[in-house]
Amino acid sequence: MSRPRSATAVSVHEPLVQPWVPVVSLVLAALGLAVSGYLTYEHFTASTTLACPDTGTWNCVTVTTSAQSKLFGIPVALLGLGYFAAMLVLSLPAMWRSRRSEIRRGRLALAAGGVLFVGYLVIAELFVLDAICVWCTAAHALALGLFGVVAVGTAYADPTDLEARDL
Amino acid sequence: MSKRQRDTREHARRAAELRRRVQARRTRMRRAVAANVAVVVVFAGLVVGWLAGVGEDTPAPAPAADDTTTATVVAAVTGVPVAVLDAVGASGVQKVPDAIAGQPALTESGKPLVVYIGAEYCPFCAAQRWPMVVALSRFGTFSGLRVSASAADDVYPNTPTLSFHGSTYTSRYLAFQGVETNTNVRVGRQYGPLDPLTAQQQQIMAKYNAPPYVDANSAGAIPFVDFGNRALTAGSSFSPQLLAGMSAADVAAALSDKDSAVGRAVTANANAITALLCRLTGGQPGEVCAGPAVTAFNGRFDDVTAA
Repeated sequence: MSRPRSATAVSVHEPLVQPWVPVVSLVLAALGLAVSGYLTYEHFTASTTLACPDTGTWNCVTVTTSAQSKLFGIPVALLGLGYFAAMLVLSLPAMWRSRRSEIRRGRLALAAGGVLFVGYLVIAELFVLDAICVWCTAAHALALGLFGVVAVGTAYADPTDLEARDL
Repeated sequence: MSKRQRDTREHARRAAELRRRVQARRTRMRRAVAANVAVVVVFAGLVVGWLAGVGEDTPAPAPAADDTTTATVVAAVTGVPVAVLDAVGASGVQKVPDAIAGQPALTESGKPLVVYIGAEYCPFCAAQRWPMVVALSRFGTFSGLRVSASAADDVYPNTPTLSFHGSTYTSRYLAFQGVETNTNVRVGRQYGPLDPLTAQQQQIMAKYNAPPYVDANSAGAIPFVDFGNRALTAGSSFSPQLLAGMSAADVAAALSDKDSAVGRAVTANANAITALLCRLTGGQPGEVCAGPAVTAFNGRFDDVTAA
């Protein structure tokens, strides 16, 4: 039988996250999943779209068929799909309410990894390919937004609260 | 210690604990905000650097062909042996122009007008020009065609081709406008401008290179061909990958080989265009439109009426 929480311990307890954070992160992850799903579809069906967009710089074909569109043989669109799928799960309200540090740290680490990966892709687009894919840019912006929300949401909770299971 | 004293101490402890937590949260939030600001600054710096031209380089385009090479290539493309065209027929053709109905005929000087809109940098345009030139050459004569290649820094780099820029076409049966909107060399971040669209060509692009005539995702894309407002094609009919590593002379030579992959792809798609053009011209000239290269497409363009 668990020991009842003392009035003192309960009174210093704070919510683990701002109420808006789970909602916003869930929306961003869902949008990212949709965009990366489209990009994955385009990646595997690009051979049927044998045309150039009407400008040279805004050119998804150049980006999605480039050497940089794969990392270790895996299409980056597919990696994006996996990233947003994982972030979608980690952004569920139940996950934000969890006191398990591995979930909170894992979510933050994944979001930070997403920022680094977006940095690599943006550098490839701007300085290697000299072409920009609007859909890719949308996915990049969503990943950066997710990091911003996750960072602020993770910083809100006090580590003491995370360890306060038995209070 | 009395109960009151214990409560007072407990209250003070709780207050101190809350102050510590508030201060710790402020510190963490400041770090989180700083991390966000750093991310924004780094990415903004990347964009500003790109806009300022950092790392900008212009790869050298494929070297221009000399006059002899150009003459040899143009002669081969505009004079593909009929025997080869007839032998290839419709084999392997995967994409033919789409018929459209109920539109006013597009004509010039009383002849059906074919409008091609592309750009020299575009590899898909580069691929599509080969069957276009082969097919149109069966109805008339080109002059001023020039050996060219798609951009060196785009997908399928240096795809060999002929440029319509500066060329003219004369025919008893058809009129043709070949427009290359941009060069294959960048000026700053964009490819250099070349042929401006006329008002009529702008209207064609705005109306027919858009839904419902083409898929929304490829609206405005090139190459785009309007066959007398009777049929349209958006994109190339075969992949530029097929021409990778080849010179224009290699492609031209392959056109007389019905067994080569390149020869078959170009001539079969040229035959499809030829069969469509025969519908526009009402079956003229007879020696072209009655040949096996065209009859191989019987039934494929029944919806297309003479312009």
